[in-house]
Parts: sequence; structure tokens; C-alpha cells
Amino acid sequence: MTFEIDRRNLLQMLGLAAVSGSVLSQASFAFAQGADSVTIGWPSDVPSWDPNLRFVPDAQPLFKMVFDQPLDQSPDLKLIGNLITKWELKPDGLSMPFEIRSDVKFHNGDPMTMEDFKYTFVDRIKSGLKLDIANSWRTLTDIEILSPTSGVMKFSAPTPTAPQWLAFLGSYLVPKKYIESVGPEEFAKKPVGTGPYKLVDYQMNSRIVLERNDAYFGTKPKIKRVTIDIIKDPSARTAAIQSGQVDLTVNIPVREAERLGKTEGLTAEINPFTRLILLQMRNDKGFTDMAVRLAAHHAIDKAALSKAFYGGAAVPLSIPATPGTPGYLPDYKFSYDPERSKKLLADAGYTADKPATFTLAATNGQFPSDFDIARALVQMWQKVGLKVELQQIEYSKYFELNRGGQLPEATLYSFDNATGDPEIFSGYLMNPKMPFGAWKGPEIGDKILKLFVEPVYEKRIAGYKAVAQEAVETGANIPILQSVQTLVRKKSLNYVKYGNAWVLGSTMSWS
Amino acid sequence: MRMFATIAKLLVKRVLTAIPILLLVSALLFCILRILPVDPAAMSLPPNATVQEVEAMRTEMGLNLPLYQQYGIWLNKLFHGDIGRSIHFRQDVTSLIGSTLPATIELAVIAMMVATVFGLAGGLFLFYVRGTRAEAVMDFVSILLLSLPEFLWSLFLLLIFGVFFEVLPFTGRLSPGFERPLVTGFLLFDSLITGNIPTLLNALQHMILPCLALGIALSPSLMRVLRSSLLDAYQDDYIQQARLRGLSEKRILIRHGLKNAILPTLSLMGVQFGFLFGGTLLVEIIYSYPGMGNLMVDAIRNADLPIIQGAGLTYCVAVLVISIVVDSLYLILNPKLRVR
Repeated sequence: MTFEIDRRNLLQMLGLAAVSGSVLSQASFAFAQGADSVTIGWPSDVPSWDPNLRFVPDAQPLFKMVFDQPLDQSPDLKLIGNLITKWELKPDGLSMPFEIRSDVKFHNGDPMTMEDFKYTFVDRIKSGLKLDIANSWRTLTDIEILSPTSGVMKFSAPTPTAPQWLAFLGSYLVPKKYIESVGPEEFAKKPVGTGPYKLVDYQMNSRIVLERNDAYFGTKPKIKRVTIDIIKDPSARTAAIQSGQVDLTVNIPVREAERLGKTEGLTAEINPFTRLILLQMRNDKGFTDMAVRLAAHHAIDKAALSKAFYGGAAVPLSIPATPGTPGYLPDYKFSYDPERSKKLLADAGYTADKPATFTLAATNGQFPSDFDIARALVQMWQKVGLKVELQQIEYSKYFELNRGGQLPEATLYSFDNATGDPEIFSGYLMNPKMPFGAWKGPEIGDKILKLFVEPVYEKRIAGYKAVAQEAVETGANIPILQSVQTLVRKKSLNYVKYGNAWVLGSTMSWS
Repeated sequence: MRMFATIAKLLVKRVLTAIPILLLVSALLFCILRILPVDPAAMSLPPNATVQEVEAMRTEMGLNLPLYQQYGIWLNKLFHGDIGRSIHFRQDVTSLIGSTLPATIELAVIAMMVATVFGLAGGLFLFYVRGTRAEAVMDFVSILLLSLPEFLWSLFLLLIFGVFFEVLPFTGRLSPGFERPLVTGFLLFDSLITGNIPTLLNALQHMILPCLALGIALSPSLMRVLRSSLLDAYQDDYIQQARLRGLSEKRILIRHGLKNAILPTLSLMGVQFGFLFGGTLLVEIIYSYPGMGNLMVDAIRNADLPIIQGAGLTYCVAVLVISIVVDSLYLILNPKLRVR
């Protein structure tokens, strides 16, 4: 065998490699941008740039940079004025007079008018377009225009959470004149809002580039250009912040966040926010007996789960509401008491030979550590004598199973509510007419249905507090933890922390 | 002339065979997706939709009809160029696939080129070092490469070149600030025809890591098949005769051995390219690459059946096209097949 790479061949190959290497290495890919720009590594994209179209909680901070909501929330989740400056839900909950700003312009220069409000919340919905906001505003029959800056929202039934929904999912003002001239498809391609940033470039599932709207009516953002890299893989987001390819990222594994927090130039936070991790319960099958449900609850060491899976930052919950929200009961505690679990089971006639049995369903990867939590729950239950089978389900299967009454006795579930209002926590989770709640018992359901039309705020909140406590004490609901958002950023990048995990480029600045 | 006639005949035959295959695949795809225990009607509505609204949506989507009727309606629309409308994105599936397919094709083609270069070079080297100690080392290396899936290569390369050395970008198709020419959707091609060299180079930089990850994972099997084909070829008389004619070993390898041994490798490359085309999902997710794999992951997560069906059919068409191309290459490279 005499085949050899001769000198000429070798030189040719080396020459080619050198030229390619030199050309590619000279093409810079600019890790760091200027002081007036920031790059955010975000885990998901918008489903469409029509903000009324789909409800996707993780997309709300992206929409909020381009569009405005009629009302807004302060970092501590209080409802504050935005496009709407004054509002007052009438005592019967059937109408809400409101006033709007007169100095707001869309990105294309058109002024915002009452017509845009009527178009967004009434006409667009009635036109038959499949918009998710049609479901939030199904009781809204009309917006009566009283003057260029005032109007009245009219409802077919008491709508006590109308103000909250004006700052919630999908409720973004869109430009009537522009959409009617270009059509909804073109609007979704070239969106025009009133928000603090304009969309200048968008590549689906890859990158969003925003540029400051210098005509913005509110506080002008300090950062001129915001680039959002859509990085769905948590490891890639971790690598991106570590290598400096992004300046801030969220939702990376807790351990990685803790590690990166010790890295020079970076800082990490584990922030609890308005998302619950809970068990959706049935009131039949293996859970017919309230003692079994309560025994299951007393057996859960929530602090241990928080420590094991969320670095101890996830707040153990006794009520289906997060701390600081109106429906939260700070003084109410449901005890972790395995001995009490054993006693409840023994009193109900369950023994080692004849244990109480049930099935727990859980998703795997729908939210951080979901299946790990489910496995830990099974072990905790086994210790008190409950025999539990673990079943993995897809999130998309949850509604199908629930509608068909096929969910098992308990399902590990995560529920997001940026408003913090108890209707969207306890109300949605236990309304028997809604697809979320697995609990169909009328003793809780009837009370919830009444609260859905209770217009007096104080009465409504007090009602939800009472029904939430009752649900927990009867085993209709087992709240476990408040979910957390991990956030890692460059130390010199400042941002405003929101209680509902919004991360907004418009609040950022470099120091 | 004979070669072109044979290829044309093959093309007609394969296209005719492709029609029932496509129909069968479409029926299978449709049935499997409808049997899955997911509720596209519930997924297409917001969380606060009522049970009645979900039922109304089921009726509107035709999900209450018998399966064969649903398939008939879908097929009829397909013949009229309508693959459907995405449940999650509320856009035409055709436009979604059209906007993401070029990125995946570019990725798959360049990754296949990487795999070919590594595979052929590695195969030749394996053959070259046969019977030496280096053969055992190379064998070990090729098995090691073979046993690591592409997503692990993706993470490994990302950590080495993106985080540790910080020499290559690993998110998206372009760095911020680079102009994105919009002509065909094929970024490299578009940059070339618009003369945008900085964008071209930046796009190439972004392709290095995902293409290496995909290419490295595919190359070991090519190496090993080429090596064993070469070993077989070297048992034939024409190699000895070539040696007796005084030809150099290099010339024998390139002109005689490789020419005959390449056919099984080519066959494997065709199969692998088909797999590669449908197997970019995880790599696209890790590198935030806006291709069809990324879209497919969204579709699966949201039970977006129209996209899954559309993407499945697209993969099927791609595999059929690839197999026709490979068969044609076979005919060009192997005169014996043309005689038959």
C-alpha cells in the first residue's frame, strides 16, 4: 500500500482551510451590542402579531412592548390607568363608564380614538373573526361613545372582572383604520400598536427586533433597541447568557441560575410569581371520601418540594391564590401532618391490607420539575399508607379527559393568572362549567357561580376567600406551591420586577 | 442518450408510484392523528371557553363527523391546494410551511455535505489504515461518534465553541444588526444574489454548529459502509489487474476502488438524507433555528393537527424526491443498471 498524501495535496488542503477560516473569522457576529440596546433570551414566541388572537401567558410581555392595554398593572399588580384614565364599574356590574387619553398615537401616526376601542372590543369580535378575546368579552354588548374621549362599556350580565380583563390576556388596543385598510393578515405581518416600541424585524421562532417609539405617550424607554432571541431550549438559554450572546434570560433550571449567579458580571434571581402549582381534584371514585382527600393533603411536605425542586424559593401555599393578591389568606395555614393523615385514613377504615387507592396524573415538561414533583408526591403518600398510581398525560390531553370525565382522582396542574384576581384563581379552577376544574361538586360550584356575577368588589373578594378556604378544608382543591421564574442578567442591566413575571424592555436601563 | 432515456423512464415510473404512496401516507397520517387522545377543538379555544363553546368548535371543525368523511373533506381541500389552517397560529399551513421550509432545506443540505465530507474522508482513512494499530483507534472513534445522537453533539459543540471559546454564534440564522434579504427564503442563496457578503458570512457562521452536529452524527455510518465496500471492491480481480498495469495505489483507489465502492454509500446517503430532513427538530430547537422542525415542535405541543399533517406530507414528498434523485445518480454511476 503506497497511497500517501503528497506535499502538493497537503499544501492545497491547508491553503483552502486557511482561506475559509480567515474569511469566516473576519465576519464578526457581535456578541455585545451598544449601551442603548439590549438582547433578551426568551423561551417562546408570539403565536401571531395580532394580540387579540390567542391567549398565551408567556407572550404577554412581548405584546406589551408593541401594544398597549386599556389598563395596566403596577409592579405590585395594582390596577392602574393606561390608555384609559378613569373607569368605574357600576354597582350592578352591567356598565362601566370610562375616559381615554387624547394624546395617544399609533406607530403609523394615526391618533387613537374611541372608535378604536369599539372596534377592538366589540366590532372585531362580532365580525366573526376567531379571536380569543371574544371569550373574555362575551358579555360586552356595546361600547357607547359619549364624546371623543369618553364612553360606556355595556354588559349583558354583571361582569365584575371587566377592569381586570382590560389589563389581562389579549386585551390590547388595535388600530381600526389601519386594519380595515390592510386587512387582518397584513396587520399580523406588519403590526401597528401604540406601545413603547415598534416592531422593525421579525423572524418566527427566532428573533424579534424592536425600536423605541419616540412618540410614545408614556415614560420613554431608556433602551433604544430591544432584540428578543427566541431560545426554546433551557440549556441553550443558559449558554446564551453565560457566553454573553444575550443580556438577560428567564426560565432556566434553578441549579443553573444559582450557578450563574456566582459568575462574575452576572446576577440571578428566583422570583415567585402569580402562577400556582396545585392538584385538581375529583369528588368521586377514590376521592369520594373527604377523609382520603384531606389525608392526601396533610401528607404533602410542600416546603420539602420547594427546597428540592425550586431552591426553596417557591412559596408553599395553603390557598389557591398567591401571596399579595386580593384572594390570599396570609394567616391561614393547612398543616403538613403525616400523623394526622394516618389517623384520618384509619378512622375512615383504611388499613395496610385495605389501603385507599387513587391515581395521580401529571404532565412531563409542561412546567419545571412537574413530573419530579408528581413522583415525590407519590412517595409522600406511600409513607402515610395511600396507594397511588402515577399516570403521565400530555397537557393537550387534560381538557379532553376533563370534558369526558376521564381525569383521574388528582391531576398536578399549573395555572397562571397575571391579574391576581381570585375569580381567575379559585373561580376558574373550581367553576364546574369551565374546562379547568375537575371538581364538579355543587356545594363549591354553586357558590363560585354566584361570585361570577357578584359586582360588589369587597363582597366578591370576601366570597372568594371563604370559598377557597372551604375548598381546601373539604379537599376540593390542594394548592401546593407558588411557581417561580428564574432570571439571570448582566449585573449592569437594570429592570423592573413585576409580581406576575412580566419582563419588559421598556423598563430596562444600563448602569 | 440511452442514459437520459433510462432516467426519464425511471422518473415517470417513480412519480406514478409516488401517487399511491402519498395517498396512503396521507390516510395513515390522518387516521393516526385523529385517533390520538387530544382535543384540537379545546386547544383552539382560549382557557375560559365554556363546554358548549368547545362543542360548537368541534362541530365547526368537523370533528363530530365519521373519520372517512373527515378524511374525504380534507383530501378534497388538499387537491385544491388547501392543506388547512393552523389551530394555534390561525394562519394557512401552506404559508407557515413555505416560510420555514427553506431554512430546514438549507440546514439539511449543508449538514449532508458535512456528513459526506467527514464520512468519505473517514471511510478512506479507515481503509487506508486497515491492518494497523490506527485501525483499532479509528474503529473506536467511529463507534463513539455513532453512539452520540445529534442533540448531544449540538449541546457539546455549543458549549465548546459558543460558551467556552466564544468563537461561534448559536442562536438563529443571523446576528442582530445584519440585514435579512427576503427573496426566496433561502438565506445563503438570497445573500449571494443580492451581493450581501456580510450577511452571507454571518449566516454561514450560524450554520457551522448545527450543521456540524447533524453532519458528525451521520458521518460514522458512511465511514463504515465505505470502508467495507472498499474492502469488498479490493477483493475483485480488476484491482489486481490495475496493479499489474503499474497504476499507483492512489489512482487505483480513486479511479477504480472508490468508483465501485461508492454505490452502497450513495444509497445510504439517500436514506440518511431522508432521515436528516425529518430529524432536525431537536437541533433546530437547541440552536433557535427557525425551520420546519421548530414549527413542528410548536404544532405537536399545541395539538395543531393541520400543521402536523401538512409537515408530515412535506416530509413524505421530500423523501420521495430524494429517493428519485438517488436512483437517478445510481443509474448515472452504474452502467450495469442502464443495460438492464
